[in-house]
Amino acid sequence: MTRIIGCGNRHRMDDAAGVLVAERLRQLGISANVQLGSAFELVESWYRDEDVILVDAVVTGSPVGTVHVWNGQPLKVPSNPQVSSHGFGVAEAINLARILQLLPRTLSVYGIEGKQFGIGETVSPEVLASVEHVAQQIAASLTPTEAHSLQISSSRS
Amino acid sequence: MSGNAGRTIRVDTLARVEGEGAMLIKMAGERVSDVKLRIYEPPRFFEAFLRGRHFSEVPDIVARICGICPIAYQMSAVHAIERALGVHISPEARMLRRLFYCGEWIESHALHVYMLHAPDFLGYEDAITMAKDHPEVVQRALRIKKIGNHLVTLLGGREIHPISAAVGGFYKVPPKSRLHELEEDLKWALDASVETVRLTAGLEFPDFEQDYEFVALRHPSEYPFNEGRLVSNRGLDIDAAEYEDTFIEQHVKHSNALHSVIRGRGSYLVGPMARFNLNFDNLPEVARQVASDVGLKPPVKNPFRSIIVRSVELVFACAEALRICQEYEPPSEPRVEAPSRAGVGQSITEAPRGILYHRYAIDDKGLIVTAKIVPPTSQNQKRIEDDLREYAPRLAGWPLKDATWKCEQAIRNYDPCISCATHFLKLTVEQEEEK
Repeated sequence: MTRIIGCGNRHRMDDAAGVLVAERLRQLGISANVQLGSAFELVESWYRDEDVILVDAVVTGSPVGTVHVWNGQPLKVPSNPQVSSHGFGVAEAINLARILQLLPRTLSVYGIEGKQFGIGETVSPEVLASVEHVAQQIAASLTPTEAHSLQISSSRS
Repeated sequence: MSGNAGRTIRVDTLARVEGEGAMLIKMAGERVSDVKLRIYEPPRFFEAFLRGRHFSEVPDIVARICGICPIAYQMSAVHAIERALGVHISPEARMLRRLFYCGEWIESHALHVYMLHAPDFLGYEDAITMAKDHPEVVQRALRIKKIGNHLVTLLGGREIHPISAAVGGFYKVPPKSRLHELEEDLKWALDASVETVRLTAGLEFPDFEQDYEFVALRHPSEYPFNEGRLVSNRGLDIDAAEYEDTFIEQHVKHSNALHSVIRGRGSYLVGPMARFNLNFDNLPEVARQVASDVGLKPPVKNPFRSIIVRSVELVFACAEALRICQEYEPPSEPRVEAPSRAGVGQSITEAPRGILYHRYAIDDKGLIVTAKIVPPTSQNQKRIEDDLREYAPRLAGWPLKDATWKCEQAIRNYDPCISCATHFLKLTVEQEEEK
C-alpha cells in the first residue's frame, strides 16, 4: 500500500505546500495524511513494508514553484530546518530512519520550492500552481487498484 | 583570554527547544550585567479569541495553543469551566483524565529526555547524530513516545490537538477491551522508563545548585495532575481561586510573553523538579525505588539534574497508566450535562512543563466573558534568566563555543515551550569592558 504524507504548516505561508497537496488529493478521493514534518513524528508515521510518498516545501535556491522529485536510495533531500519547530525536518527524518533501519520499502519525496515562510496564510501563486501539478502527478502515479483501495480507506476515515 | 577583555557569544538559533525566541547575556569580566530571554514571536491572542464563544468550544480552541501539550490546555480549561458551572464529573471520567494526562507526559517527557536533552550530556549535536552511536537508545525513545501517542489517540480521538475532552467528561470513552490491549505495551514502557532513569543518572552534571522557590500542585494521596492545592517550599498553600492574589504577570519590554512572579518574592520554578520535591511521597513505589537506587532524593536543586527527575516522572506516568488500564471500568455516561449559568472558575493542572492556570468568566447564556491563561514556560521565564545570571559567570574562562553550548543547555533544562508562552530562540552573550 502507498501512504501519502503532506508535511507543513498552513500558517507559515509557502510551508503550506505539502498540506495543500494532501488536501487536494483528498478532494480527489485519495487518502493522504498531514503532518507538521517533525522528524520524530515522521519516522513513527510509516511502516517498513509500505510505499511512502512525502510532499514538503523546500528551499534549494531554485525558482519558486520548482518541483523537485527524489526517488530511490539513497535519498539526499536538502535540510530545511526553518520549517520545523525542533529544527528537524523531512531530511533529518529520512536520515534518522536510515540509521535506525526504519525506512519504508520505497520512499519518494516531492519538494516544492517555496519563497516565503513568515506567519500567515498567503501562499505564492507559483507554489499554488505546483500544488495542483504535484497532486495530479501523484494521483496519476497510483495504480488503479491502489487508488481504489486508498479511496475506500479515505471514505472510511 | 583576559578576564577583562570584551567578548560576544552569539547563537542565532537555539536548537532543541519548542518555539522561537532569543537570549542575550551581557558580561563584563565575570560579572553579568544583563540577561534577557527575548520572546519576539507575536502575541497569539487566544484569551481574546475565546471571548463570546460558548464554553463547550473552549477545550477544542485551547488545544490549539500547543502541539506537544494540548491535553494540559484542555484539562485546565474543562476543570475551570466545570468549577464555574458547578459540574462534578464521574470518578471513572476522572480516572480517564488522569490516563489522558499520562499519555501526554509520556510523549512529552520521552521527547525531551532522549531527543532534546540527552544529546547535551553525551556531547552530540542532536538526536540524529546520537542515533549513529546509540541506535538502541533512540529506538527505545521512539517506542516509548509512540506508546504515549497511542494513549492520547485512543482517548482524544487523534494524536495532535485531540478532540474528545469535553466539559463534564469526554465526548466518547473507550471500551474496557481497548485499554486492556495497552497493558503489554505499558509494561514494556515501564521497564524502559526505569532504564531511562538509570541511563540519565549516569550522565555528568555541572556542580550548580540554586535556592529555588518550587511551586507545584499537592494532592493528599496522588502525584498531581488535575487536582490539589498550590504549594511551595516557602509556605505557599492556596486554592486555584487565590492564584491571582499571589502571582502577578509583568510585561517586560524584551519579551512578548508575560513574566510571572510571586508578589514580593520574585521568580519561582515550576515543572518536574518542583513536583518531585513537593510530592516525592506520592510517587508510586517503583518510581521512589529507582530514584533511591540512583541516589536521587528531594530536594533536587541542580537544574541540570532535571533530566533524571523527568525520567522518574516517566516511570510514574507509565506505572499510573498501567494501573488505570488494569482497573478501568467505563463510566455509565461519557459525560454529565453542564448547565448554562453565569459563574467564574479557576483551575490549575500540571502540564509536563509545570503548572498551567486558567480562569474563565461565563455569562448566563454560557458564553465566555473573559479568559486568562498562564502557561508554565511563562512562569519559568524569569527563573531561566536568573539561572543564566548565576551560571554564566562560571563560564567566563571557557572557550566561547563551549560557554555558548552550556548556556543553551541551561535553557533546555527547563524544556521551554516558547510557542505556548507565545515561538525561535537566538542566544547572544556580549562581553562588555569592566567598569
